[in-house]
Amino acid sequence: MIRILLFSLLLLGCKHGLAQTCCSGGVPLSNNLGLPNEGKGSFLLGLNYDYNNLNTLKAGSSILDDDSRKRITNSILLNMGYAFSDRFSFEALFTWVNQTRTISQFGNENFSETSGLGDAVFLVKLAIPDILGSNTVLNLGIGTKAPFGKSDLTTEEGFQLTADLQPGSGAWDVLGWLSISKKLDFRPSATISGSLTYRATGANNSYLNNAAVYEFGNVLQTNFGYTDQFFIFNTIFNSVLIFKYRKAFDDRIDVSEVPNTGGEWIFIRPELGVQLTPAISFNSRLEIPTYSYVEGTQLTPTIRFTAGVTIKLKKNTLNAIN
Amino acid sequence: MTMKKKLFLMGFVFLLCSCSKSSTQTITTQGDEVGMEDTENTSTVWSIPVSEVLDGGPGRDGIPALENPSMVSAENASVLFDGDLVLGYKNGDDIRAYQHIVLDWHEIVNDNIGDVSLAITYCPLTGTGIGWNRVIDDQETTFGVSGLLYQTNLIPFDRATKSNWSQLLNESVNGSLEGKKADLIQLVETDWRTWKTMYPTTRIININDTGFSRTYGVYPYVDYRTNDNTFLFPTPKDSRLPLKQRVHAIVNGDVAKVFQFSDFDSTPVIKDVFEGKNYAVIGNANFIISFELEGADRNLEFDYVFEGSSDILVEDNQGTQWNVFGEAISGPRQGERLKASHSFMGYWFSIPAFYVTEIYANSN
Repeated sequence: MIRILLFSLLLLGCKHGLAQTCCSGGVPLSNNLGLPNEGKGSFLLGLNYDYNNLNTLKAGSSILDDDSRKRITNSILLNMGYAFSDRFSFEALFTWVNQTRTISQFGNENFSETSGLGDAVFLVKLAIPDILGSNTVLNLGIGTKAPFGKSDLTTEEGFQLTADLQPGSGAWDVLGWLSISKKLDFRPSATISGSLTYRATGANNSYLNNAAVYEFGNVLQTNFGYTDQFFIFNTIFNSVLIFKYRKAFDDRIDVSEVPNTGGEWIFIRPELGVQLTPAISFNSRLEIPTYSYVEGTQLTPTIRFTAGVTIKLKKNTLNAIN
Repeated sequence: MTMKKKLFLMGFVFLLCSCSKSSTQTITTQGDEVGMEDTENTSTVWSIPVSEVLDGGPGRDGIPALENPSMVSAENASVLFDGDLVLGYKNGDDIRAYQHIVLDWHEIVNDNIGDVSLAITYCPLTGTGIGWNRVIDDQETTFGVSGLLYQTNLIPFDRATKSNWSQLLNESVNGSLEGKKADLIQLVETDWRTWKTMYPTTRIININDTGFSRTYGVYPYVDYRTNDNTFLFPTPKDSRLPLKQRVHAIVNGDVAKVFQFSDFDSTPVIKDVFEGKNYAVIGNANFIISFELEGADRNLEFDYVFEGSSDILVEDNQGTQWNVFGEAISGPRQGERLKASHSFMGYWFSIPAFYVTEIYANSN
């Protein structure tokens, strides 16, 4: 019991360690990392669709009575995870992004859209079992976000679009990832887990036709969740409730901080998964903002929905860690 | 199917999706709440380099212009400090102030003052506040914020033709009106205390009734207006003066001459010749204004008589007193008006970004 308490304190303590960004119409990279290590030689594939609607205009923590601006990001995310051993694994996340900006003002509707291949993440992970007691797994990961997406899209007229409408960031980022999970002794079907992702962003040195250097703000994200399984209709369901904290630092252009970027958000995220077959599971989640404080005035997330499947293309039945 | 085949198939499908397109498009559907017509500007021809036109982020009308905003008396002005800047306009006895703390969020105000159709255009990133006549080719229009920037300066669009305009060039740079110059309407930029002391009957935008929910009084660009190192978009930076120093610019064709507040420390009235034209430039610590002197006016000599308690600014050697808008309010020429110069206030860096710029050198 003391171990559980210490474990929980560690998870909560992580929350105060660092910080992050967001207007964030961006691709939910951090949300979609963390395929489990299913044992040496196992190969997992995840395919998800993510819908992110930003239609809430906020100044600080106050909601402004203005719904004239709407940003929607549709993303398709493909992750692949391969375990080199029961401890070491590799994960890659590829994205395709569609972003729209709609302004409804004075009876007019102005619509802009960009789409294309987004940035990708490559992560090397280490799983350490029982380091915080029995039935615990600590996962550590380090990786990079590669600028596969275009960051120099222009409108049909040839205008340079701002960084937040581009499918890619044009910068290499460094990612650190940590997750901890523990199966509860008194309820073997339940797990508590926490994760922390920190993204130290790089700079896009060729922003606006090489006229400026743009750097998105560093991002810290922590999740704390409870998972339980239940069995009905001869099917295993996974229900999850996650509290997510995200902090984004201000973006920078050249030597200047970009106003109206950065902030803090707290989301609640119910998830439901279904084990369709021994190798295929369906996952869905809804992300609802419960609190946010944005720097300046920003359009901020209203609702996010993600759904997809995870397929075990090859599994190791002897895995004892996850 | 083997695992390799499955992987190959899924990767292939993903790549197909990924490579499908990377494109942008802008579509505008029409409505008619503020006198908009059915015309859409489809011209791709610009008189300024398209590669230097940037999407500022909010999109067209993402920063909403105000249309004939509700005005209140000076004593009912809210969230306005004495030192806050306003753009003042006077048409007869109708005197109005447009406060920067509102313009920071709306950038354009389309207003009707008596027989004048005025567009107050203000770019927070260049600090330029310029009045335009909204009657173009005998047709009244309104201006909106295109969301585009050129040299980090506002590009308004007119709703009648959807032509895009450059604020600092004062001309249409794209669309059916390309090349058309805006008729300037003289504004006086000064602090609220100076303005309301000169014009106690002034009215000012009612921030409680703009029709928009904004945090008026909170400057949206953090330290932009005071930090010479803070820029949000690339633009040339002429280091001859501090980049964000407010200057008064007189423009003539593609050249400009700027005057600094310090030029008026000991000489509140400067008579100057620029590009063959004669000007009277008058300033103090709170405002700088200028007039073009034509014909016999070139021989006028002005004494600075401004005391702050009224709008009387100078008295000429013929005994006529002129106010800050160049109106003769007493003396032999009462009722006449000095010709307004082609001028405006703005941050120093923005003037040489558009014009070959000369800095006035005070010989005193």
